[in-house]
Amino acid sequence: MPHPISGGPSMTRRTALALGGAGLLTATLAACARGTDTRPSAPGTVTLNSDNPTWGPGYDAASDVLAARIGYRITSRSIASVANYNQIIRMTAQTNSTTDLIKWTNGYRLQDIARADILTDLNEVWDDAIGRGWVDPAQRASFTYEGKAYGVPLYKSYYAVFYSKRAFAENGIDVPTTFDDLMSAAQTLKDAGITPFLAPGATTWESEIWFMQLLASLDPDYYAAVTTNQASYVDDPAREAMGLWSTMYSDGFFSAPDVTSNDLPGLVSEGRFGMMLYGTWFANTLLASGLTDDDIGFFRVPPHASSTAPAVIVESGSLSVPVKAHRRDAAVDVARNWLATDVQEAWVGFLGDTSPNPAALPKSDLVKDLAAGIAAEGPTELIRYWEASPTPLVEGNVQDLGSFMVTPSESHGESTLRSMEARARTEWKIWDAA
Amino acid sequence: MTLTQPPVPQEAVASPGDPTRASAAPPPRPRRAHLAGAAFLAPAVALVVLLLVVPFAFTIYRSFFDDNGFTRSWVGLDNYTAMFADPAFGQSVLNTFFWVVGTLLLPVGLGLAIAVGTWKLKLGAVARFAVILPYAISGSATAVVWTFMLSTDGGLDTLLRLLGLDPLVSQWLLQWPLNTVMMIIATTWQATGACVILFLVGLQSIPPSTLEAAQLDGAVTFPQLRPMTIVVVGISIVGSLKVFDQVLLLTNGGPGTASETLALTMYRETFTLSRYGSGAAVAVFLTVVVVAASYAYLRRQLRPANG
Repeated sequence: MPHPISGGPSMTRRTALALGGAGLLTATLAACARGTDTRPSAPGTVTLNSDNPTWGPGYDAASDVLAARIGYRITSRSIASVANYNQIIRMTAQTNSTTDLIKWTNGYRLQDIARADILTDLNEVWDDAIGRGWVDPAQRASFTYEGKAYGVPLYKSYYAVFYSKRAFAENGIDVPTTFDDLMSAAQTLKDAGITPFLAPGATTWESEIWFMQLLASLDPDYYAAVTTNQASYVDDPAREAMGLWSTMYSDGFFSAPDVTSNDLPGLVSEGRFGMMLYGTWFANTLLASGLTDDDIGFFRVPPHASSTAPAVIVESGSLSVPVKAHRRDAAVDVARNWLATDVQEAWVGFLGDTSPNPAALPKSDLVKDLAAGIAAEGPTELIRYWEASPTPLVEGNVQDLGSFMVTPSESHGESTLRSMEARARTEWKIWDAA
Repeated sequence: MTLTQPPVPQEAVASPGDPTRASAAPPPRPRRAHLAGAAFLAPAVALVVLLLVVPFAFTIYRSFFDDNGFTRSWVGLDNYTAMFADPAFGQSVLNTFFWVVGTLLLPVGLGLAIAVGTWKLKLGAVARFAVILPYAISGSATAVVWTFMLSTDGGLDTLLRLLGLDPLVSQWLLQWPLNTVMMIIATTWQATGACVILFLVGLQSIPPSTLEAAQLDGAVTFPQLRPMTIVVVGISIVGSLKVFDQVLLLTNGGPGTASETLALTMYRETFTLSRYGSGAAVAVFLTVVVVAASYAYLRRQLRPANG
């Protein structure tokens, strides 16, 4: 019987391998050439990239409302590492591999990428949202670069003191309404054997928290000025803040600086938690770990002197639309409706945090009371330090502050300020030249 | 030494007057054999060029620019002058130097001692197993364990208090140079096992007769271990020059930039500050140091003993 393919060239193993290899290579190259992000998403959806992998259910909840309003849902994806996320957005937002919406920060970090002309101007969306009363107009400035807004607030958090209701009750402490009250509350807790303030930050971003809060309590105008290059870091208010911080350390008011905020629930259950100044977004983590409104309360750090106007630090993320988004119009439409009260109610219902829309309140009494207090008193809202100045300046100064927290002597406070001021001179020159 | 003296092909040593050879030139090999050789080499060459040579060339190129990921402008050697003028860079070089010395003294030294000291013992296998075990744990998991041990009021401080050694309680990861020393010790805990394994391989390759003779004479076996020592020290130098994961996870280079190594400086400039040109300059400097150190060391060590 003749061989079936004996008439043609015989198929050797080498040929088979070569063909297989070539096929595999072609398939690999084809896969590289077009990722899922280079094509528009499914009809009726817009894609969103973020660095927060746990927020998926929140976007789903908001999408249910968005779908009813405009017929579009958000499909979210996330990259958990913040450093990787920053790089990926910087690279992909310049290409057609971008998602339709991106989560970013506001302030100078937003300005930094807005300068590269990769984001859509959302001025019209802001006009609309302000007209409907969906957002505090004062927030617009921190999303604006050279007259154009490049994002809407994705979320809004405040910096407030989380405190243990049990520790306060057992030691007869009332919620402080003056700075002196706060200091005597700390002293009472210390006398009872409880470290008054859990304060992480030795080698993390959290070293900025007490620095910015003490400045906000001492002199809110100075804080706004020093972060925008209108004042020097060695001016009196900053020196007073570092001196106060150093004294609080020598009074034994702070934990070791290498603790983490995740230590909080454990300390509560051991009855060793007093207070922690932190972003209200952290409430979500605490509620998820089983703590309730009965365990934890919030209050704002009062002004240092009664003559000082009250101020509160605000943290906000940005929902931005890359110019190269596949469904750019739909994405702008999502941004336009993101601040609507019903969308925000669904969103903060998941987050358990305050909303950029003052009318949308979360279910937790914890945050609701804080939001009500802010609405009633109307403190000056100051942008968080992390976003308040050019990134390299903030990153370097935060490292200096972490180093101060490790060795919180008065003289180290002075040298820290000198180092921050020297960096400010260099970095502002670079920022202004760019 | 075999590493610099590869087996010499017979045809190359044949003398010109050899009657079996018509001429000194090798016979022309068929074109097909050349092509096949090239085809076998091609994937490896292509990968090395694509994944190592091209990115490195691009990194050198990029180090001459002020580059924020969006726009790029030529600045010549500015990134290099700024780098050398930065005190944080000096600190980073100093820390990297500590790491090189520390990993030579501890994992390599201990590895050699443990391998030589236990390999003839009855229960030596148990001892070696205990030392080698941490090597099976990933670097980041090791860092988590050591963060727990070394943080303030962590495992080590608690242990010291239990033993009544309160004066020794310290902020292990927060004070320089203590934090760098502790991180080197943490790395020793993990990396010694690898050195032990390599030295054991070295010991097993020594002919038993030599070992017996050495034992009879009361002599040490170190000279016989020299080839393996060269390999272990070489790997260790390169590994410590580019140390990254332990430092990132244990101290993040801090407090401030106190415990940064060159790899962390490169990472901070590039990925935290988005200064791709400055990061590239540090990367080029690190590469030059690694290549120069390896070349100088191996050139010296691998020189044929008979000159």
